[in-house]
Amino acid sequence: MENEFLHKELTENEKLKIKERAKEIMKNFEEKLSEIDELEIKTTTKKEFARKENSPCEKKIDKEIMLQNAPKKNKDFIIAETKNW
Amino acid sequence: MTTQEKLQQYLDEIEKHDKRNNSINAFLYLNPHAEEQAKKIDKKIKEKKAGKLAGQIISIKSNLCVEKLPASCASKTLENYKAPYNAEIVQKLLNEDALIIGMTNMDEFASGSSGETSYFGPTKNPKALELIPGGSSSGPAASVAANFCDIAMGSDTGGSLRNPASHCGLVGLKPTYSLVSRYGLIDLAMSTDTIGPLTKTVHEAAKILKIISGKDKKDAICQTDIEINLKKIEEIPKDITIGILDFEIPNKNIQNLIDEKIKKATEKYGWKTKKIKIDKIDLAIETYYPIVYVEAFSGTRKLDGRRFGKKIEESCGPEFLRRILGGEEISLAEHGGRCYHKAQNARQIIENEFKNAFKKCDFIICPTVPRLPHKIGGQISVEEMYAYDVLTVPFSLARVPCISIPAGEIDKIPVGMQIACNQFEDEKMLQIARCFEKLGE
Repeated sequence: MENEFLHKELTENEKLKIKERAKEIMKNFEEKLSEIDELEIKTTTKKEFARKENSPCEKKIDKEIMLQNAPKKNKDFIIAETKNW
Repeated sequence: MTTQEKLQQYLDEIEKHDKRNNSINAFLYLNPHAEEQAKKIDKKIKEKKAGKLAGQIISIKSNLCVEKLPASCASKTLENYKAPYNAEIVQKLLNEDALIIGMTNMDEFASGSSGETSYFGPTKNPKALELIPGGSSSGPAASVAANFCDIAMGSDTGGSLRNPASHCGLVGLKPTYSLVSRYGLIDLAMSTDTIGPLTKTVHEAAKILKIISGKDKKDAICQTDIEINLKKIEEIPKDITIGILDFEIPNKNIQNLIDEKIKKATEKYGWKTKKIKIDKIDLAIETYYPIVYVEAFSGTRKLDGRRFGKKIEESCGPEFLRRILGGEEISLAEHGGRCYHKAQNARQIIENEFKNAFKKCDFIICPTVPRLPHKIGGQISVEEMYAYDVLTVPFSLARVPCISIPAGEIDKIPVGMQIACNQFEDEKMLQIARCFEKLGE
């Protein structure tokens, strides 16, 4: 058994192993949860808290920082994807 | 001492012990404008125009946005990301003239209980350098415990403030879910995420909660204001029934420390005790993680490498990858939401159990963490790591307020005790915690 938590760069093979491990953990947890009875979970929707379509942002967000954060950008816009359509 | 002098003392300590000598690794970035801001605060103090937090020096966990400072979540994914605005709690602290000293280390995207998953390397426990400080608020806890600042701000999803508070000998406060705005928090699991302080005293924690709590229209669930009276917190309440959580932990020495504290409180204050059993509490870990895995997967779809940072699946470390791949798997259509649905059912049962329990007692007490911290880099399985949270997660699922306060030491390693009250009884919880704190004064 090793420490599975320390940060490291992962190879594709290691990523596959992590995926399998994650599946195994979730499967075990689901089995343990099988004893739980079905409940009717009540949900409520409060219309007053819903964001209005196209409602303007209250505070001006610094556009310069937003552009700095984008990996690919032009003068004043972010390039989301190219030639991948 | 002026704010400038205090800041200089802290910066000297950081210079000596954070990257050199002890190499605690609590900070990822120091605020380059701190000295200039300290000068302005001192001027306000002199003119008697300063806010309630003037002179207080605060560190901020790297998943909370401070305008123009990095908010990397200790991940390679957001390594170069700078926050374009202030989180609501940061703005509230600044409005009261707090000084932000820097951004702290943490478990990557708040996913961990040890502080080991950071892309920038693990944080050491200032109380025992070879050991983990706990997580995910590892840097915030270490920054206060190592005397690098007065107070630290962090987040708590399943124990991320309480667990490091316990291992580092501090007070860690998780408020009632929805009492503090999460606007500007880079989320892990929005149905459980909360924000709170790590401090040296209960009074400081109460003071911070009073400032950061309250309604915020920018966080749709944050719609409640409650009273937090700092004078009332100093009073000793009468006719109190302590609920002792019926949960066996393997380390008897930890339980004995808590039992001693309970005994002292009953003798000094005349409080009664009652054993409290919570049905399905043994399934809390199995309930919590599917919810967190799915919400972490959902919340990170924005990290596709377009607007900011790198693509998450290509740049994150093993634990966070485990969470998002596990979340992706159980939310696939072919599983029909079975695991997530079961977990939500179990959560509802646990929440109802706590509501009923608080009809029989005023507060519930138990150890914060069931074991002592392990050595950094030591062998530990996923299941063992998740079990660190076995006593913090149930209260997170129930959305109730909790606080971890120091209970004593075992082999010179701090041990914390956890106090929880019913939803929105944060003031009462602080009052009880203060009573326990007074037992050691």
